Amino acid sequence: MMLSALIWIPLLGAAFIGFWPGSLDAKRSRLVALLTAAATLVWTLVVISQFEPTNATMQFQESIPWLDNLGLTYKLGLDGISLPLIILNSLLGLIAIYSSDESIRRPRFYYSLVLLIISAVAGTFVSQNLLLFFIFYELELIPLYLLIAIWGGARRGYAATKFLIYTAVSGLLILAAFLGVTWLSGGETFDYVAYVGNKLPLVQQFVLLGALLVGFGVKIPLVPFHTWLPDAHVEASTPISVLLAGVLLKLGTYGMLRFGLGLFPEAWGIVAPWLATWAVVSVLYGSLNAIAQTDMKKMVAYSSIGHMGYILLAMAATTPLSVLGTVIQMISHGLISGLMFLLVGIVYKKTGTRDLTILRGLLNPERGLPITGSLMILAVMASAGLPGMVGFVSEFLVFRGSFIPFPVQTILCMVGSGLTAVYFLLLMNRAFFGRMAVPISNAIEQVDLNLLPELWSDRIPAIVLSTLIVLLGLVPSWMVYWSEPTTTALLEMSTTVAQVSSPPPIAMRIEHHD
Amino acid sequence: MTETLPSLEKPSSDKPQTYINLLLSGEALLPDTPGNVMEVVGILKSYGVVLDAYSINLNYIADHQFLVLFPFFKYFNGEITFQKLLRHWWGDRINYEYAEYCMRGMLWHGGGGLDAYLDTPEFRQNCQTAIQAKIKNNPMLQGLHSLFAEFLPEQVRQSAYYSGLGQFWRVMSDIFISLSDLYDQGDITSIPQIVDHVKAGLVAAAAMPITYSVEIKGKVYDILPKSAGLTFLPDTAVPYVEAVFFRGTPFPGTVSYNAQAYQISPDQSRFAYGALYADPVPIGGSGIPPTQLMQDMRHYLPDYLLEYYHQTQKGVRDIRVKICQTFQKSMFCVTTAAVMGLMPHAPDTSDPDEQAANEKYLKGWLARLKTSRLDIVQG
Repeated sequence: MMLSALIWIPLLGAAFIGFWPGSLDAKRSRLVALLTAAATLVWTLVVISQFEPTNATMQFQESIPWLDNLGLTYKLGLDGISLPLIILNSLLGLIAIYSSDESIRRPRFYYSLVLLIISAVAGTFVSQNLLLFFIFYELELIPLYLLIAIWGGARRGYAATKFLIYTAVSGLLILAAFLGVTWLSGGETFDYVAYVGNKLPLVQQFVLLGALLVGFGVKIPLVPFHTWLPDAHVEASTPISVLLAGVLLKLGTYGMLRFGLGLFPEAWGIVAPWLATWAVVSVLYGSLNAIAQTDMKKMVAYSSIGHMGYILLAMAATTPLSVLGTVIQMISHGLISGLMFLLVGIVYKKTGTRDLTILRGLLNPERGLPITGSLMILAVMASAGLPGMVGFVSEFLVFRGSFIPFPVQTILCMVGSGLTAVYFLLLMNRAFFGRMAVPISNAIEQVDLNLLPELWSDRIPAIVLSTLIVLLGLVPSWMVYWSEPTTTALLEMSTTVAQVSSPPPIAMRIEHHD
Repeated sequence: MTETLPSLEKPSSDKPQTYINLLLSGEALLPDTPGNVMEVVGILKSYGVVLDAYSINLNYIADHQFLVLFPFFKYFNGEITFQKLLRHWWGDRINYEYAEYCMRGMLWHGGGGLDAYLDTPEFRQNCQTAIQAKIKNNPMLQGLHSLFAEFLPEQVRQSAYYSGLGQFWRVMSDIFISLSDLYDQGDITSIPQIVDHVKAGLVAAAAMPITYSVEIKGKVYDILPKSAGLTFLPDTAVPYVEAVFFRGTPFPGTVSYNAQAYQISPDQSRFAYGALYADPVPIGGSGIPPTQLMQDMRHYLPDYLLEYYHQTQKGVRDIRVKICQTFQKSMFCVTTAAVMGLMPHAPDTSDPDEQAANEKYLKGWLARLKTSRLDIVQG
């Protein structure tokens, strides 16, 4: 029941807040939600304490028959790839609830939906049955749609509907691929392990992998399936953006790694160079678009598109180092983008705008947002991959791991890292340096501009994430320790399967030449 | 380079005549309200304390660090202990750098009899005598002097300004402290009274001679002899007001130093970066001198002013900005006193020619204050 608790604690919390017959005011709803999320995080720590990093197989396995004739079983398991994402989910879930506006409208509904997302996302990361994964994957869409549509900004209806259409299509493609792999293999179950490295004909593998690539490509998102993301981020409230960028996008990369590479290693090996090129397009397109943005949140959103592209590059390379890099980049991006959205949220709350053509000098020590600005500098440095922070570790692993198989694509992706410095320094230079300027209507003094003071309650979540970004940057072994055996094993499993068939995956060919 | 420096749009005053009428009727450039009186007296009290420290240090440097090329301990006033050094490094000290910034501002902008005297052959003669006495038996300085003949005289000119500003602030400090004492006794209750007090202080000291001499190896050398005829009001006070209140110097971050940006006038006389124009919201860059003054004053604020700041929005979290705002109010009072003190004729003269001269004189001042914070301090 170790893993079920990760799903059921938030689910019960959501049910309690949503359906409790008595009255629950905003304060109490928030308290219950916070306690639930804290309990989930504590339970995650318990799971960590019991986890054996050296064991690359699925741990804490649970299997309860559900709809046997459909092949659906409630089968859960955790390995070194899922564990960091589970931790990220529990941590960012708690932070999202903590950063939610205390006087939010319809609090019971809001907190229920957030807890439901935390539950569903945990479910996807531990599902060992394809259908179960799909159910959790779909389950997370509805609350997120509602969270954007009800508590979002001015164009929330448009953004939420766009999000729903894109991700619903993504879900359909994933379901089609799962059904395809099962039926074409003639299997009666949807258990993941039954289809790892399956021996379907290559053409069928290509079709199914294609469906998965587009399906998860929408979720990550990769260019050209990305257009829902900037809209969703701009309209979503801060805590929802934190969850969206920090955790929900990882469903796409996790799915691609687990199911794309895991189920179809042979086809994967053949399309890998194209995937790496796709990664380059995504990285450069995202980065160049970020440079052109004048909305801080949109800039961070486009930077997400760029940085998620690194994960595709590393996955395409399928070297031990690069696959480890995918996991570390997921953690790194989760922490850094979460921090950035929190900080942009504070700026928006205090100044009433995110417009980079208006904001100036927010680092002003007495009248501006000095701590927010300082943490933003840290986030920017981490995102640009400066040594000493987690962004460096992840990008180094990705680039080092991908360079041998795909030198040109890797170098082009590294240009994306340089562009990160360009757009985020533009953001810092415009919004935080120079003489302070904010919209007059949001200043508490108009002549000598003054902003409401930063609150410790605003700063604490950002400081927690910043601390992790620095700590994991200084001691990367704390991350690598949990995942390395699993990523190595995943690759061995995939390449073993691929070796018996022809042609071998690109990574293998290159390693052989070494 | 991204444009990080928005144009500093300052409100332009379209009502100079209103201010001229106010001044002619005995009012000040700052509205006479009880709040303003409290703020101005309170800030001038702390300013007086800080000026006292500045003036002691400026005079010390002028007298005892004469031609010391590496004056490591110039802020220690001769008392060098390890404990004091630790406190200095810790930052628990007066920012004497601000006093030097003002001194350099005066030296650079010049004006008045002091500036003119420093270019006379008489000064050069005195200067050479003192330099020769100082560098005797010092081959390094002798070598330096023979290689760069203008270097040491320029240092002496700077020392003269150290001394001049030190003597000026000595007087101003006493004026401000006595103002505070009178306020505490209940004798000062209005802005015009404050202006009168400052004006009276300036007038009383107007003819005070400004002199400077240094002692080298037991012998005294005059740098600014009494015979030069330099006096307090025209030769230090007026250049000081010009250099520090009006012109000042631009700071990186506030304006761009990039020559192509054309944000700094090539004509020094058109500079408007002084105290009356300063943006109280600092840009957060390090080493902006006015911020150093605000830091210093914050330690000596009277309780009633501190209490007032506590009651405002954001309390004392942005106290340096609030001190600067109050300080600007007080500086408009001091400017009023200076303007009135230098007015060619009595403000209530009935002679039409004199009235016209007064009007013309005041218009000149008001034109310069057009882009200052004058309208803002009206509240």
